[in-house]
Amino acid sequence: MSVNTMKVIGHATPRIDAAERVSGRAIYTRDVYLDGMLYAQVLRSPHPHARIKAIDLSKARALPGVKAIVTHENCHYVWGAGSTAGGVQYNDDIKKITTQRRYAFNNPVRYVGEPIAAVAAVDRHVAEEAVRLIVVDYEVLPFVLDQEAALRDDAVKIWPEGNISPDARNQFQPTVQKHGNVEEGFKNADRVFEARYSTVMCHNAQMEPRSCVAQWNGDKLTVYTPTGGIANCHHDLARDLGMPDEKVRVICHYMGGNFGNKNQNQDADLITAVLAREAGAPVKLEFSRKDDFVGMHGRWPTVQYYKVGVKNDGRLTAIQLRTISNMGPYRKNSGSVSGIELYDCDHTESTLFPMYTNRTTAANFRGPSDPQGYYPIQSHMDDIAYAMKMDPVDFVLKNMVKPGPGTVFTNYTLDECVRRGAELFEWKKRWKPEPGSDRGTIKRGAGVAFMAFRAAVGSSSAVITVDAKQQYTLYVGVTDVGPGAKTTMNIIAADELGVPLSKVTVVWGDTDTCPYSVGESGSRTTSMTGEAVIAAVRDLKKQIADKGMPTGSALLTASATPMPRLDGKIRNCFGANFAEVEVDTELGAVKILKFVAVHESGRIMNPLTAASQVKGGVAMGVGMALHENMIYDQRTGRPVVTGYYFDRVVTHLDAPDVQVEFIEADDGYGPYGAKGIGEAGMITTPAAISNAVFNAIGRRIKDLPITRDKILGALA
Amino acid sequence: MSTDPEKPTERDGDVSRREFLGATGTALVVTAAAPVVGAQAPPGNGAPVRPHTAIRLTLNGNVQRVEVDDHWTLAELLRDHLRLTGTKLGCERGECGACTVLVDGKPVYSCSYLAAWVDGRTVLTVEGLTRNGTLDPLQEAFIAHDAPQCGFCTSGQLMSAKALLSHTPRPTPADVRTALAGNLCRCSNYNRIVEAVVAAGAAGSTARTQGGA
Repeated sequence: MSVNTMKVIGHATPRIDAAERVSGRAIYTRDVYLDGMLYAQVLRSPHPHARIKAIDLSKARALPGVKAIVTHENCHYVWGAGSTAGGVQYNDDIKKITTQRRYAFNNPVRYVGEPIAAVAAVDRHVAEEAVRLIVVDYEVLPFVLDQEAALRDDAVKIWPEGNISPDARNQFQPTVQKHGNVEEGFKNADRVFEARYSTVMCHNAQMEPRSCVAQWNGDKLTVYTPTGGIANCHHDLARDLGMPDEKVRVICHYMGGNFGNKNQNQDADLITAVLAREAGAPVKLEFSRKDDFVGMHGRWPTVQYYKVGVKNDGRLTAIQLRTISNMGPYRKNSGSVSGIELYDCDHTESTLFPMYTNRTTAANFRGPSDPQGYYPIQSHMDDIAYAMKMDPVDFVLKNMVKPGPGTVFTNYTLDECVRRGAELFEWKKRWKPEPGSDRGTIKRGAGVAFMAFRAAVGSSSAVITVDAKQQYTLYVGVTDVGPGAKTTMNIIAADELGVPLSKVTVVWGDTDTCPYSVGESGSRTTSMTGEAVIAAVRDLKKQIADKGMPTGSALLTASATPMPRLDGKIRNCFGANFAEVEVDTELGAVKILKFVAVHESGRIMNPLTAASQVKGGVAMGVGMALHENMIYDQRTGRPVVTGYYFDRVVTHLDAPDVQVEFIEADDGYGPYGAKGIGEAGMITTPAAISNAVFNAIGRRIKDLPITRDKILGALA
Repeated sequence: MSTDPEKPTERDGDVSRREFLGATGTALVVTAAAPVVGAQAPPGNGAPVRPHTAIRLTLNGNVQRVEVDDHWTLAELLRDHLRLTGTKLGCERGECGACTVLVDGKPVYSCSYLAAWVDGRTVLTVEGLTRNGTLDPLQEAFIAHDAPQCGFCTSGQLMSAKALLSHTPRPTPADVRTALAGNLCRCSNYNRIVEAVVAAGAAGSTARTQGGA
């Protein structure tokens, strides 16, 4: 399915705000300075689990320049975007039935880094000194870090109800998803393969540490904060503070990276707003890098037990999965893992135990359930392919999800992605039929992984005006966290209007001026807000046709909030990634020699920025595959990795050259058939690298990250 | 560290400044040719007066005299007191490179470099790359090759690249990766950044050749 050529859409377009980004003129939250502004710092718990018996603020209050201090004793706001039944987001009803509340300040504290107190002072140095002068008397409690240990009957209870986090009905039980009957599936199998895999917490580690500036004008609160969703952040903040939505304004014009879970309010926003009200002055809260690592969230660690049944011809008969996810002490998100839906199998069963532990809260990170879901199942299936004497690409083509009576897709290109990727990558040339067969200490290998990831449609709003000079102004509630949403919206409006980009001015990032946008998460801004832009423009064009262009100071205004539906079909982005690695078997080091990423994300609005998303996503996935791990000291319950150095995120020296190719399609849904791309590159990468390392050394590493010690251990 | 305003500091030099400062702890910025151009913190806000020093630097081509608290980092001076907020703080512990600026042409992490140390030196920040509203060819290459995603690391990447191009006008991709190894990009847009710097080098060399070299 090819796509027709359009005027503005589909052409490589530099970002409309790129000049601001390269000249230092782009204003991020921490670049906001208000008159009389105070600086805030947060005191955090040094204990993984402790009851606060007393807090002595006398010395801190006596320090000249200290203006306000808040603790659990004088600040009782529930942080609603925190613990929620089932980890369901953006749903006020779920928050009403949630019984395990997360407050801005909690007692007891349940992880190292949990806020104890926050201070606002005349400058950041006074605030830092005041934090050091706060004396806290703790009753230290026993703690549990590991999710499987938390499941044991004799485990320390973090909540009175136990350590299993509740489901969406607030029931304290695991969640089970069944399709067919796995027992029957295993009976039909010729062979059954079982394996245990584990994945770890990788921190989002976006370059901009959390920060917030809050200012009260009477009873109106203005908050500058890095959020990927000003509308959701705005509503959550108003609800948490018990204020009407219209009394809160959220502004985010530029933001230093998102990668998940900044599409709501953060505790930093609540704390800053409360401090500003207490102090009667604007307050800026600045997280240190360590604050951000220990106080905010990362990807949920998992342990996954797979049992898979196969016929002698290589066809799957049953997939059974038991997942134990480590959510930290509060439930922010689902804890689920994806992957089973990638396969065409009649009998599947997936059981999820989202466990509370005394670690930093886990939450969404670029493909929330996906890379840590894809790595185990696609590694295990890779092992099965070798065991069945099949080429892994043939095994994928045989068993991957396909259109059928129960699986009707809006369009389907997964087979094309896999075949084209294999061709571009020269799979037959690079793949070793006998794993680990290279002679010598340096061994090469090739691996494949594939994806079928939701391409959501849904509701957002857009407003567009035109003036007498025929200049258009588009109001969209996007914040542009990096993928280029602002530019995409400009492209869509210009194309639909038939005018150059410069004839459309984009207004964004401010809840007082912009309508609702879904927020930059789930790779859905292009699809949802883009659809609203088209609808608004069509309305405006109709008004122009009916009434003519406005004259004088008059404006024509159109707004739209479309509610697109999928008619019961499945809408997916598809992709296949191929990696070639070189493993130094004496050092255990892995080097990526070649990486090919073929993706179908519908129509590509801007090939320049879309390819950057895939390139960046793959490089980020390399970090997850090979390095990143939020390690804890098991004895003290403290995180050892509290910054970039020990986290070992990917650097210029590690990032492979990523060859990206798009297969374009228009399925008739979304804006001109566009789907999402922001998460696509990331989610297949650890699986592809895992499979390439196996092909190189003939040993399967079943625990991420695939570090040198594990490779050397496997080869020893 | 003493908070006594009368206690002389070690880097006192020959500049008398107590009368300028009063008891505010405020940064006074004095260009070579003009009187006070900026005093950001409101006086009498209760902040303690800390040991401070007068320094003279060439910042983005302009000679400036500035009073700095001795414990201020260069990033803090640039951002909080001179409001050159293009220099970003990603870690404040010398790990990420977002705060990279050039001191005497060499890239330094301004979060880990004291403001007082730039006395007598030349500092170039991202704001100084743009001359009379015209972007540097390196900035143009960053735009054309989509090097910034979120943009938070971009200033630091640009400054390290600027230093590289000053001594290696036509860098290879490997040269760029090595020179920029200390600049993290969590959008992980490394391919694009390398492309942009290599392209800027090639374009710069072409321009010099066409200019009659």
